[in-house]
Amino acid sequence: MTALLEYAIVGGLLYGIFFGLVAVGLNLIFGVMRIINLAHGEFVVLGGFGAYWLTSAFGLNPLWGVPLAALGAVVIGFPLYYAIVPRLQRSRDPEMLSFILFFGLAQVIEALVTLGFGPDQRTLPSDALGSGSPSVFGQAFPESWWWAAGISVVAIVGLWLYLTRTRLGFATRAIMANRDEALATGISVDRVSSIAFIIGLALAGAAGVFVPYLQGSVAPGIGNDLTTTSFAILIIGSLGNPIGTLLGGLVFGVGSMLMQTFYASWSNLVPYVLLVAIVLIRPQGLFGKSVRHA
Amino acid sequence: MSALLEVDKVEAGYGDVQVLWGADMTVAKGETVLLMGVNGAGKTTLLRSLVGLQPCRGGAICLNGKDISALKPDARIRRGMAYMSELGVFPTLSIAENLRLGAYALSGSQASQRADQMYQMFPDLAKKRRAAAASLSGGQRKMLGLAKTLMSGADLILLDEPSSGLAPVFVSQVIETLKEVIGTGTSLLIAEQNIAFLALADRGYLMDHGRMEVSGTRAELEGSDAVRKAYFGVSAEG
Repeated sequence: MTALLEYAIVGGLLYGIFFGLVAVGLNLIFGVMRIINLAHGEFVVLGGFGAYWLTSAFGLNPLWGVPLAALGAVVIGFPLYYAIVPRLQRSRDPEMLSFILFFGLAQVIEALVTLGFGPDQRTLPSDALGSGSPSVFGQAFPESWWWAAGISVVAIVGLWLYLTRTRLGFATRAIMANRDEALATGISVDRVSSIAFIIGLALAGAAGVFVPYLQGSVAPGIGNDLTTTSFAILIIGSLGNPIGTLLGGLVFGVGSMLMQTFYASWSNLVPYVLLVAIVLIRPQGLFGKSVRHA
Repeated sequence: MSALLEVDKVEAGYGDVQVLWGADMTVAKGETVLLMGVNGAGKTTLLRSLVGLQPCRGGAICLNGKDISALKPDARIRRGMAYMSELGVFPTLSIAENLRLGAYALSGSQASQRADQMYQMFPDLAKKRRAAAASLSGGQRKMLGLAKTLMSGADLILLDEPSSGLAPVFVSQVIETLKEVIGTGTSLLIAEQNIAFLALADRGYLMDHGRMEVSGTRAELEGSDAVRKAYFGVSAEG
């Protein structure tokens, strides 16, 4: 029983750290643009298939998928941002229009991935990230899980340093706080937002590289689930703060693993039950502060 | 004195509601101009139009002789303008971060030099550099807003209601600080309901329903019947 509990907690922490990375891009894009990127999960899927492509076509290590995700985010993100976002923000109801638009984009990406790779589930070679199983508290997990957690922590801490230590990061948080005030301060809001959009997509794509390991496989149709789970995690954590999302991911990860270990058939409910509970009890998120405005 | 800012028949509004109906004004180099008027007269809309937050539907805005009407706010601010809104700060950011963003277009070293000057001018802020702006009192927040606006070293500073929400003791503090700013040769355009700010101004305008109703020097405005009527509801004749 104790061993099972330890297994669930250690596994949940690794799984949760990874899900922090899955969700953090959605958090950044929502914070800056007030747009729910309903295609977020599809960008994660794209990252997964990018890694699959590198491995199956070129025999490369799937970790090359991480820089490929960053490159892909720049190539896709810049034109996508300037084609969609300024128009959205000029419209009368940007939130509603963004739902419809990004829902459409999600369908397009899913269709394109299906066309390119077929509808089947794809896996990555299980030993590509090492064949050992390092253990903590006597609980062994595949090396791929440790890689996923390690890169997730590095990426999230990197994002936090960007937001809290650089001028562009201050500007990003200023836009999150008040877009009009950011404009009035002389911040080039479109430029800073487009960079945040690209970072958000890159983080989603980088997370996708590890989906075949953490979820068993990647398939074109799993984007929706990933978007919903990410949304739940960012609400559990707090909007705008990447460390909050990491902690939100941990709550989700440990919760899910505990349920999978002890009440497996209920485990899919975890993100939604947590989501509803948090919205009712602590709407600013577990780790968010309510802000006093002027 | 040559004109730093020229506003020529500017029209602006929100949706179907037109607020500015051909507003004209000028601010010369080194001059302090007060924009007076009751709530809803169009003062904030005019300032927002000048800085580019509110699109102009007609007229022209020239800064240093160049038409800036078509420029985005960041481009206008890079040309030597700075604006303090009624909010004035980013509550979730620290004092140091707010100041850094006030000098957004400047390099890191230039910005930290300016920040040091601001900390000398506003010692209260220096003690709390890492504190979130949200943790400051109303008066301190105004001071931070002012310091943030001064960070860019702009030639022309637009201030929207610097006294709003402040207790009288803090209003006098703001006025004293603005005297220091005026001493540096910076031009100020201050939109205010509080008539005490007239003491700072070289000239002023009284706005009503989106138009300039009266303009004149401080002495002329102090003796103006229209100003008295607008502020106290009575004219010289009673």
